[in-house]
Amino acid sequence: MLDNTQIIVQVDKTIVKITGVQVRGLDTQALEKILMNKLKSLVRIIGVTGDSIEMDVYGLEESAILSESEDVIKAISMAEGITASDVTKMASVEKIQSFDIEKIPDYIENRCKGERWQKVGQ
Amino acid sequence: MVNKAVIIPTGDEIKEGIVLDTDSPMVMSFILKLNGDCHVERCRPTVDDEANIEQKIQQYLAEEFDLIILIGGSGGGHRYSKTLGKDFTHSALEGILDDKVVTELYGKNGHLWSKLIAGRAGKTLVINIPGPFAEAEAAMSAFVETFKEIGVDLKRINASMAEAVKKKYSLYNGFENQL
Repeated sequence: MLDNTQIIVQVDKTIVKITGVQVRGLDTQALEKILMNKLKSLVRIIGVTGDSIEMDVYGLEESAILSESEDVIKAISMAEGITASDVTKMASVEKIQSFDIEKIPDYIENRCKGERWQKVGQ
Repeated sequence: MVNKAVIIPTGDEIKEGIVLDTDSPMVMSFILKLNGDCHVERCRPTVDDEANIEQKIQQYLAEEFDLIILIGGSGGGHRYSKTLGKDFTHSALEGILDDKVVTELYGKNGHLWSKLIAGRAGKTLVINIPGPFAEAEAAMSAFVETFKEIGVDLKRINASMAEAVKKKYSLYNGFENQL
């Protein structure tokens, strides 16, 4: 038996990447709370490495996030498990772009629809 | 009845201690709501590698666990962004399960946010949940409610878990299209 359902959730979000941090023993829920208090918007941590943090910020434009970048970095440095430094910065802030679901290129093994849609725009 | 369950956390960031594993204790508490007498194991975190994850699943299938729960690695991850973690849980599950029901949740940019699978291999029920705590908790809550109500019905379990995760995303400001 194989049953497969596909759903597109239409949510606007901006993907933010912070680099130049040292991360060890981070509680992502605690960091999300700090960031949500700072940005007054919903935040989800989606990727963490030893020196970077990537997050989804919902309901805020890129310009609004960039204008708060210094305060966001200060807030992040308060979280347990994160050490900020002079090189800590908001390396990228990018609002997601919509793609036309009618124009999905053919299936390519091990690639999600996002990759295929984005290939259309190239 | 679930008498023997194992939680398999996945992710390099968990294994290396960069991120604390707050999901596993939450998952364990939900399993104990199903059966307070259940033997529950949490195995050491598995690195994001398809072969490793497959090997872990096969090991617990051989040990005849009633329930295997994999945490994390359910999205498009590395296939979408080089800087995101590698997501291999669902691809590892694909080849192992005899029966399976799958729901894929995509963002409006086409990125696979989460691929949720409920399946069976022999007598073992296998499910996966997303890594972010809020979505993981919603998925586990839905799983326990559905399992208590109707038992092992893969379609209903998968649908309720996907609905719970989707609601979390939809709460942010959205709505959804079904393809």
